[in-house]
Amino acid sequence: MKKTILTTAVLIAALFGVQAQRIKGSDTMLPLSQKAAEEFMKINPSQTVTVTGGGSGVGIAALLEGTTELAQLSRKIKFDEKNKLKEKGKTVKEVIAAYDALAVVVHPSNKVTNLTREQLEGVFTGKITNWKEVGGADLAIIPYARETSSGTYEFFKESVLKKKNYMSGIMSMPATGAIIQSIAQTKGAIGYVGLAYLSKEVKAVHVSYDESKTFVAPTVANAKNETYPIVRPLYYYYDAAKESKVKPFIDFILSTKGQKIVSEIGFITVTAP
Amino acid sequence: MIKQIKNNQRKHSFSSPLGRLGGAFVKFLLTASGSITSLAILLIVIFLFKEGLGLFNSPSVEKGYALCVNASNPIEELTPQQIKQIFDGEISEWRIENGELKMEDNSQFSTLHSQLIYPFRFDDVFSIYSDEEFGEDYELLPQKLGEVIAQYSNIIAFLPEQYLPRENKAVKILPVKNIRLADFFGGKEWLPTASPSPQFGVLPLIMGTMWVSFFAILIALPLGLGVAIYLSELAGTRTRNFLKPVIELLAGIPSVVYGFFGLVVLVPLIQKTLNLPVGETAFAGSLILAIMALPTIITIAEDAMRGTPRAMREASLALGATHWQTIYKVIVPYASSGIMAAVVLGIGRAIGETMAVLMVTGNAAVMPNSLFQSVRTIPATIAAELGESPAGGAHYQSLFLLGCILFVITMIISATAEFISKKKVP
Amino acid sequence: MNKDKTNEKPPLRGGLEGLKQKIAFVVFRLLGLLVVGILFWILGFIIYNGIGVISWEFLTAAPSGGMTAGGILPAIVGTLCLVAGSVIFAFPIGVMSAIYMNEYAGNGWLVRFIRIMTNNLGSIPSIVFGLFGMALFVNTLGFGDSILAGSCTLGLLVLPLIIRTTEEALKAIPNSYRTGSLALGASKLQTIWRVVLPMAFPNVITGLILSIGRVSGETAPILFTVAAYFLPKLPTSIFDQVMALPYHLYVIATSGTDIEASRPIAYGTALVLIAIVLLMNLLATGLRKYFSKKVKTN
Repeated sequence: MKKTILTTAVLIAALFGVQAQRIKGSDTMLPLSQKAAEEFMKINPSQTVTVTGGGSGVGIAALLEGTTELAQLSRKIKFDEKNKLKEKGKTVKEVIAAYDALAVVVHPSNKVTNLTREQLEGVFTGKITNWKEVGGADLAIIPYARETSSGTYEFFKESVLKKKNYMSGIMSMPATGAIIQSIAQTKGAIGYVGLAYLSKEVKAVHVSYDESKTFVAPTVANAKNETYPIVRPLYYYYDAAKESKVKPFIDFILSTKGQKIVSEIGFITVTAP
Repeated sequence: MIKQIKNNQRKHSFSSPLGRLGGAFVKFLLTASGSITSLAILLIVIFLFKEGLGLFNSPSVEKGYALCVNASNPIEELTPQQIKQIFDGEISEWRIENGELKMEDNSQFSTLHSQLIYPFRFDDVFSIYSDEEFGEDYELLPQKLGEVIAQYSNIIAFLPEQYLPRENKAVKILPVKNIRLADFFGGKEWLPTASPSPQFGVLPLIMGTMWVSFFAILIALPLGLGVAIYLSELAGTRTRNFLKPVIELLAGIPSVVYGFFGLVVLVPLIQKTLNLPVGETAFAGSLILAIMALPTIITIAEDAMRGTPRAMREASLALGATHWQTIYKVIVPYASSGIMAAVVLGIGRAIGETMAVLMVTGNAAVMPNSLFQSVRTIPATIAAELGESPAGGAHYQSLFLLGCILFVITMIISATAEFISKKKVP
Repeated sequence: MNKDKTNEKPPLRGGLEGLKQKIAFVVFRLLGLLVVGILFWILGFIIYNGIGVISWEFLTAAPSGGMTAGGILPAIVGTLCLVAGSVIFAFPIGVMSAIYMNEYAGNGWLVRFIRIMTNNLGSIPSIVFGLFGMALFVNTLGFGDSILAGSCTLGLLVLPLIIRTTEEALKAIPNSYRTGSLALGASKLQTIWRVVLPMAFPNVITGLILSIGRVSGETAPILFTVAAYFLPKLPTSIFDQVMALPYHLYVIATSGTDIEASRPIAYGTALVLIAIVLLMNLLATGLRKYFSKKVKTN
């Protein structure tokens, strides 16, 4: 029963000539994939590219279920995710399309400009609760995080919190845009966003990973020369068996034109394709 | 019209066997359609509970992984919460009594094992050995892991099952229990992606939902009741004809538009006027939900009040009561069961509301103790997390279980409303 | 049920009770005003901010410039597809179900049970429909994220609404018409098809329009069954994903690299969405009034 429906579905889909490429996954990569898809379709009008968000986890889940051709991830594929794909007889290929630096942002009126990794860990695990403990005004700290299974949430947890869990009851925003908006409105707020999302409404903090020897500003230049520590690669994953289908898009994003989009959006380009 | 029927009668003869067959077929079709809502509910129950109850067959540590300790460690088992606290650094010492970890400072424990805990994650092994040491296809990985565990008596290692050093006598693999009912319904932490041991404590979500809905009704009830009284007792025909569509329109506005409005207007407004640290609060959610529940409450309460028999009103007025006295001494008590039904249905609407709440309450999974704090509701949790949870995993199942809770709550609510509105006033 | 009792208001009285009454009534009037005020506040806010964005280009172009420019055509078309799909699925079934309950089934326990089930289905939160739709249509039946899966989910969601309005329409028809038709020798089916349905038609259509309004505004059920973040091309088959207005509003209100730059688009989307939904509601109200007058004059 299930199989017949499935095959008819596939048949009908083939009949209607759906040659769409679907990209699904990380919200961080949505602007990149969206803009790239926009440009890509301008060059190849016969191709359709669908971009859907949801989080890095959903990208892999969709790849697993065959409901997407490309999974966009803002973290490396997890060990057990890879195993699950293997169980389904799928080998995935990985492409790094860009790098993203996470900036720690606070309200523009906040006087604190430098924070060490240890301080950040304290703030986000709930051990430091007042700005005066890190050299600021006497004001409660309100940390904002992304939704639990977003790649950004995981990467920040890995890199800054050293895999410790966030304080329970942290404000979690459904999307990065919402974090920016909330922090711009909230005096004691602190949060983290991709470099691409930095705007005048929030202030980015300089971060030190070497116990306050050097504090580095989150800029594209600093991320490129590897002095800024909170940097992560952005990946596309796809089923090796379907390589021919997704190759044109992958090639496009790694081309000069594609990489121009990468830097336009505020990500860091991959130097060698 | 009757002429028309006669004409038709002449044109078709339904007494033919074909016609009767057609009639039977149509009847079958109609019956089948009639049963579709019951079928839908049945399917919803099956799918929701099948996935949801699967959670209690899921291990309490991440699937495909196990926890190992040194064989000299007398620990027998750990609760999911303890595992989480160990890897978060909140529990830092092995204080063991009868194979269980003790949290209190004053308990007696063997000095041998009051040593610091060394939490070890799988990835850490790659910083101890170089990649070449694991062999071509990582076949030496279990052996190396075994060496590490044997070396540290205070270690607790979180490893994938396929690389477990099962041969090594110096390694003790802790038994993995399934997630228990008590962990889910009694847990106070909602950290569904925590590793090694995800926390599925649903209490903060239930409390969050209740707080937001309860205060929404607290705001909406007097408002809605007032408007209902106004509509049924005071307003002229023209005002009514104007107000009724307005209320219908209010009910028609999509919840995502309410959410958007709340996000750009109410949240900043609340933060500024009340001088709060954050605007995304339970209060913002309650306000939006109150507006959304208003039409339900007004419509049902008004219907109930208009149902008051004319004789009762006139008797009250004839006895010299003012119109207002008649309203609150006769009409409102008479309509009380209808008003109660309105309240219950309003709560039902508020509990299930998703998008608006997701956008304005800040979604912090914390036990609420103030209205001016961020909370996370059950529907918002499902909407925010379902897309990101791998199908079939414990997280996915837990979200379906949340759906079950929501389903059961709304069933209870609609049954209650039915029961109340049927009850007659003594 | 209630006649125009408002024309014969009880006389006001002086003294303390009269004062109490005055105060109470003023408060109620203010509350009535407040509800109107809330509606106009919300509508006014969205119209005021959104009207400047609406242009021919906005309605007929795909989003561009990273969701900060261009239009919302794919979302409009997507929503139309979902409306059409769910109505095709739910309308015939809903009407037939109502006919069964009102014309065939009598008043036994079965029909009472079905009625309770229909009510219950109507009270289930939309996010639960989303969960269910994902489990059944997307995963088990293998429709994937598609118009088909989304339409089925939305169709189930509005089914109770269609059944309820159709049943009310059928109930409003006096029994004498049915008995008259039957007495003239028409079969039951003929009676329903030629007499009952044509008379109930206007109110049934009103229910249909209301459900269109409801479907076009729902977000939670399509979150996991069909909605795409960005898909500028229009759908070609029922197995395509589509963008949809409510989901589009949600994503551009909460994500995107430049939230300030995409705000106007959000206002515009909200305005279009509200316009569709409210137009449907007004149309339904208008139709209901028009037909009820017509029936009276007949």
